[in-house]
Amino acid sequence: MKNLYIFIVVLFIPWNFSLAKYDEFEDGDDIMEYDDNDFAEFEDVSEDAVTESPQRIITTEDDEEEATVELEGQDENQEDFDDADTQEGDTESEPYDDEEFEGYEEKPDASHSKNKDPITIVNVPAHLQNSWESYYMEILMVTGLLAYIMNYIIGKNKNNRLAHAWFNTHRELLESNFALVGDDGTNKEATSTGKLNQENEHIYNLWCSGRVCCEGMLIQLKFLKRQDLLNVLARMMRPASDQVQIKVTMNDEDMDTYVFAVGTRKALVRLQKEMQDLSEFCSDKPKSGAKYGLPDSLAILSEMGEVTEGMMDAKMIHFLTHYADKIDSVQFSDQFSGPKLMQEEGQLTKLPETKKTLLFTFNVPGSGNTSPKDMESLLPLMSMVIYSIDKAKKFRLNREGKQKADKNRARVEENFLKLTHVQRQEAAQSRREEKKRAEKERIMNEEDPEKQRRLEEAALRREQKKLEKKQMKMKQIKVKAM
Amino acid sequence: AAVPPARYKPPATETNPALEDPTPDYMNLLGMVFSMCGLMLKLKWCAWIAVYCSFISFANSRSSEDTKQMMSSFMLSISAVVMSYLQNPQPMSPPW
Repeated sequence: MKNLYIFIVVLFIPWNFSLAKYDEFEDGDDIMEYDDNDFAEFEDVSEDAVTESPQRIITTEDDEEEATVELEGQDENQEDFDDADTQEGDTESEPYDDEEFEGYEEKPDASHSKNKDPITIVNVPAHLQNSWESYYMEILMVTGLLAYIMNYIIGKNKNNRLAHAWFNTHRELLESNFALVGDDGTNKEATSTGKLNQENEHIYNLWCSGRVCCEGMLIQLKFLKRQDLLNVLARMMRPASDQVQIKVTMNDEDMDTYVFAVGTRKALVRLQKEMQDLSEFCSDKPKSGAKYGLPDSLAILSEMGEVTEGMMDAKMIHFLTHYADKIDSVQFSDQFSGPKLMQEEGQLTKLPETKKTLLFTFNVPGSGNTSPKDMESLLPLMSMVIYSIDKAKKFRLNREGKQKADKNRARVEENFLKLTHVQRQEAAQSRREEKKRAEKERIMNEEDPEKQRRLEEAALRREQKKLEKKQMKMKQIKVKAM
Repeated sequence: AAVPPARYKPPATETNPALEDPTPDYMNLLGMVFSMCGLMLKLKWCAWIAVYCSFISFANSRSSEDTKQMMSSFMLSISAVVMSYLQNPQPMSPPW
């Protein structure tokens, strides 16, 4: 409330100025009656002021009589002289104000009129501007290309370093197990190059052979495409890891007939769909290996239970359990022919060639951000490979198992033959027709009429013999049926 | 008798074209298409994309890839860029 009063007081100080003035005018009227001559000039003005003021006085006095009463006494005494001055100031300022503001009124008008006239600024074409700034898109493009080139060089070198780190770690073990380490197939003689064979900026091969049991071992270091910037950016969305793929080709006599795979569930599901042998011989879904003490991440695909029992010995389980995070898949197969070939139905007339193979796929730890040191952690896995080679040689199915395996293989072959029976018949038919046509052509082309006749007779005789054979067969079948 | 060690045979991917990575071939084709567009239609951005495609194709190329093919695609894209700028020296305007 106190604040409110102070606020009202502050507001009404200017009111009080005017009030005090006009009060004095009222009093002043009485005084002026006596001093007419001296103050005649101001009379008119004061009358004008008085005529204006009564309106104000009425309004203000009606509103806030309390406030005005409190301050009136104080103000009157202080501002007697001030009022005269202000009065004079007011009267004098009026003519000046008009004169002063005349100029100001014109000036805004002048500027307004200027804005109404449009000014067109013509754009200078960018290529005549002589500034590099207008070419910023081009500079951006070139910068992008430079970034790509830089990434290519950096990625290429990183892959190279990783490959050589891997090789240096594994060199000793490989050289102690294989006579021939490193061969690119170009030399006439089989000599160890002792070097990795670079197929690509991200794929390195190493061929080892010269060991008992196996024909040879091909190691492929399949790195991520670090040299391609697009691939690097794609990997930021979807992390992937480098892979080491080892394919051991066994000698025919050194491995028994079975198909078996162990690995991560995801990898096995994929392989079962893609690989020819796994899809034909391992029809069940991947089973959990918990029975043998394997971690949950690993599953088993097997042709028959006996194979699983035989494969899962203590040392193998130890390898699989300790390095489960690095194992993607392990596949032992005597019917290995690679992934299923997508061919048209009419073309497949022969079963694809199979080779007894052990196939290992390992993931390099680091999930993309690998350092050369990570390569050392893969060394025990190579020991596992060597151990598996020896194991595959030693493991033999018992009689029952062998029978089952043979039956399976016969079944697969039969199915295949049934599917392609029609195609094979057609192929045989067309071959026969071709032969006949060739014979006929030869006979026609023969100029000597004598020879022609002899050849024709020989052809006739051959056909007659064939017909007789067919008739004999039909008779035999009829007899059997009876 | 000691059997001589077996020799290296190129892995199956080289004999089976279905297993190969198709990226370098696609990028090569794309690069050529874009450089032709850039030359015929005088579009600068087409020509620049062609240069990028040619670089990507090179980075993904296989060892058996012909270097002549790489070089020809690269030269074509560079010529598309140069021709676009000779005909119209104005800088590229961004699409926004």
